[in-house]
Amino acid sequence: MSWRGWAAAATTAAVVAAAVTLGVARWAESRYERAFAFRMAATTAAYLAAVTPPPPAPPPPRRARPTRRARPARPAGPPQQPPPPARGSAEYYLPQMLTLARALRTLPGWTSEVEVYYGTAPLADATAPPLAPDDLERLAREGGRWRNGVALVALRDRGGREVVGAVAVRPRSVPRGPLPGGMGFALPAALVAVGGAAAIAFRQRSLRRGGYVAAALLLAVAAYADVRSAARRSTDRWLTDTRRLLQEAATRLPPPRSRVAIEDLTGLVRDAELLPGEPGESAPRRVDVDGKRRAVVSVLIGPGRWLELRTVAAEAYTTGWLFVLLACALLGPVAILGLRWAERTPRRQRRETTIAWGFLAPAGLHLAVFSLAPVLFAIYLSVHRWGRGSVEPVRPFVGLTNFAAALRDPLTWIALRNTALYSLYVPVSVALALAVAVALRAWCRGWGLGLLRTAFLLPYVLSVVAVGLVWQRIYQSGSLGLGTTDWLSSPTTALLALMLLSLWAHVGGQMVVFLAGLQRIPQAYLDAARIDGASAWQRFWRITFPLLRPVTLFVLATGIISAFQVFTYVYVLTRGGPLPDHSTEVLVHRVYQTAWGSQEFGAAGALSLLFFLLLLVLTVTQVRLLGKQVEHA
Amino acid sequence: MASVTLRGLSKVFDDGSQALHQLSLDVRDGELLVLLGPSGSGKTTVLRCIAGLDEPTAGDVLIGERVVTHTPPAERDVAMVFQNHALYPHLSIRDNIAFPLEMRGVADAQIARRVAETAARLGLGDVLDRRPDQLSAGQRQRAALGRAIVRGPQAFLFDEPLSSLDAKLRIELRAELLALHRSLGATMIYVTHDQTEAMTIGQRIGVLHEGRLRQVGTPAEVYEHPADVIVARFVGTPGMNVLQGRGRGTAEGERVIEVGSLAVPVELSTYEGELQLGVRPEHVGLCAVDKGVGNADVLIVEPLGSETLVHLNAGGQGLVARLPGFLDVRVGTRVGVKVDRRRLYLFDAAGAPLA
Repeated sequence: MSWRGWAAAATTAAVVAAAVTLGVARWAESRYERAFAFRMAATTAAYLAAVTPPPPAPPPPRRARPTRRARPARPAGPPQQPPPPARGSAEYYLPQMLTLARALRTLPGWTSEVEVYYGTAPLADATAPPLAPDDLERLAREGGRWRNGVALVALRDRGGREVVGAVAVRPRSVPRGPLPGGMGFALPAALVAVGGAAAIAFRQRSLRRGGYVAAALLLAVAAYADVRSAARRSTDRWLTDTRRLLQEAATRLPPPRSRVAIEDLTGLVRDAELLPGEPGESAPRRVDVDGKRRAVVSVLIGPGRWLELRTVAAEAYTTGWLFVLLACALLGPVAILGLRWAERTPRRQRRETTIAWGFLAPAGLHLAVFSLAPVLFAIYLSVHRWGRGSVEPVRPFVGLTNFAAALRDPLTWIALRNTALYSLYVPVSVALALAVAVALRAWCRGWGLGLLRTAFLLPYVLSVVAVGLVWQRIYQSGSLGLGTTDWLSSPTTALLALMLLSLWAHVGGQMVVFLAGLQRIPQAYLDAARIDGASAWQRFWRITFPLLRPVTLFVLATGIISAFQVFTYVYVLTRGGPLPDHSTEVLVHRVYQTAWGSQEFGAAGALSLLFFLLLLVLTVTQVRLLGKQVEHA
Repeated sequence: MASVTLRGLSKVFDDGSQALHQLSLDVRDGELLVLLGPSGSGKTTVLRCIAGLDEPTAGDVLIGERVVTHTPPAERDVAMVFQNHALYPHLSIRDNIAFPLEMRGVADAQIARRVAETAARLGLGDVLDRRPDQLSAGQRQRAALGRAIVRGPQAFLFDEPLSSLDAKLRIELRAELLALHRSLGATMIYVTHDQTEAMTIGQRIGVLHEGRLRQVGTPAEVYEHPADVIVARFVGTPGMNVLQGRGRGTAEGERVIEVGSLAVPVELSTYEGELQLGVRPEHVGLCAVDKGVGNADVLIVEPLGSETLVHLNAGGQGLVARLPGFLDVRVGTRVGVKVDRRRLYLFDAAGAPLA
């Protein structure tokens, strides 16, 4: 390929990287728009559910009210109510809902494009297409869904059970970017600038001088600013529109009520806080509450009665996007580095390297997806508050709080102690495995050896869960002559019982390794020792055991490491119990419990990282030890 | 020091193969006897039976006057040097040499003294604290020797101790071994498949073939008067030429043996019929065509400097001639063959010597 061709490829790569960056930014913004649409639809559904009365008990004497254009912001006077409401009815009074739905569209300052469906029929705009019949069914299952560019949220009956309709909010198309001229001008301009910078960089053969990296990063930062402002806008719009809804609700909540209480309104905004407040601006503003960024708006719900509506400021948690965008932007420089390498490298080598990477790619991809990505995610989890129980829709960054909490938790230390105690079975099983291997090698030949070896190995290859269940029966009181103690439910014996079981299960595997190790010791050493006058005992301790040392260390090291990772036996047999003492709580089970029991994924991530560090220290120590000993073997 | 006596030793392995057949041997006190045989001939099995590592199926092993057939190796007081030295890899050379003494509960001070003596005798003083893998091949074999001689055993057993060394080192250590034997005056049984080694170091050589002892004698006896065809073929480099032939009388009243394209006159009046004619390569000469006992084709010429080996095809029978210096013989040409008539060996069809 000519130089011109390489330069063109470099420019293309840079332009593609820039386009990807801008595309990701746009996608992020539309995500915020969608999030806003769903949130707004949910709030609107809650508002309608709260303010729409049930139908009157007798056939409703319909007051002649033609399509009423409800002028909002009516003074405190109670809105029109069907006289005797049927108490306990789960249905809505449809005419009233029709009115309310249409009123939504004319609320001053209301920015959302909203539609309310009763059944599948649109209420506000009668000519709009109805929902499909299965839409309601799917809403009943999923709560909300995205359909034809509109966020649909289920509208449930007054009892909160059946789905009787839906609220739809259409997000606005993504607004123009932060650059002058909007996307239409900024996008081509940005691409041309970036591409030009890349071409210069390529010709000058230095990414540093060309300023291309700077251009690419600048683009990423600009895109990030755009995303951040979109996040801020979505929070602000929700606050603005919800403020209007709250004011409406304050006047429309069905009687009997003399004064609207805060409690009546909090149901409308479950994912935000509603507090008594001071008079303030109606425009959203930012305050720090307990060190956390909150978006706040003041709501006037009656004469002199102010509320403060607080919610999480979404833009404070957009940092992740910055990294994603920077990564996207750096695709360009990486591609140019690759092209530069390809230009310099002879064709044959280039070909071989490409093929080599081709072969590496599947394994590398597997490693990235199934090893690297989970590790990175665990690290991400560990520094965020991430729990399903949390009220907040976002997962705030909490630094090392999770780690501190894990270290403060007495259960962590109990688990660590139990794990360490449990791993003490390993030296015992290693000694036993060595003894069995030596005995088998000394006394067994032919099929007898094969049979015994298989018998010892069998527990090791059996399904761990099946083994666990069998031993559960064995340990139950009275069975197999193990006495009347229920081994697993007594705090003093439960851990011991697990250790015994593990001993039984692991001796075989370790024995096979020892047998292989014994086989590798040349017979000549033992013959020489016999002639030199060594007894069988001396031969073992002076010759066999020292020569087996690397094998022994290997078995011991891998045994202890896997003992530290014990989970299945604990999970199947005791679940960390007996409970008050947590007698068999071990580290991996603790991680599991934190994640799936307490639903605290952030804490579980922190705990598993701590556990990882512990294992790393153990492994490195043992590898060092092994490395020293393997030399002369 | 003691003699080693084997009486009717037989060994059948678990898989049914018989390694030794009724083997009897008397190794005199202070003698260096070499057991020579091709691989698989049972040499090592003999050693292992003497050492006690294997138990014979039948027969007895005596060390001195003591029957030790079923005595464990530790109580036989013999030392063995293995083919691959078998030095304990995790112990220093000092600990390796001291090992047999430690196992016998010798006092520490005495151990130190004897290890030092042995090391000095073998020139290992500088490497005592190294591990076996830090030594050269020669040093390793010396250390193995040291481990054997340090406790002054009744007899030494050597199981091809030099076969894993390169040729130069082998010759060097061979001389050392002989010197050691002289100075210790020890009974030694030395197993090898290398007949040069056997000829150079053995006071007597026992030729072993397929578990049977074919001949025991001094190197000269074994070379000059082989007990049968097998010994004749095996001893010597290259071994004796053994040709299949027929004896008959000629019109001139002479007796000749016809082997392939050769007709060798012999002074053997009584025998007619199938027999085998042996002649060592150095007693075969080349001459002009039709001037010798017959003609042969030259197959291969191997010039070795001091001598040249010429491989011949005499009417389908292979024959090697060893001739001094370099020769101008072309491969593929036809030459006449001479033999030294005084140095012919005659064997019957079964391989036993005639007359």
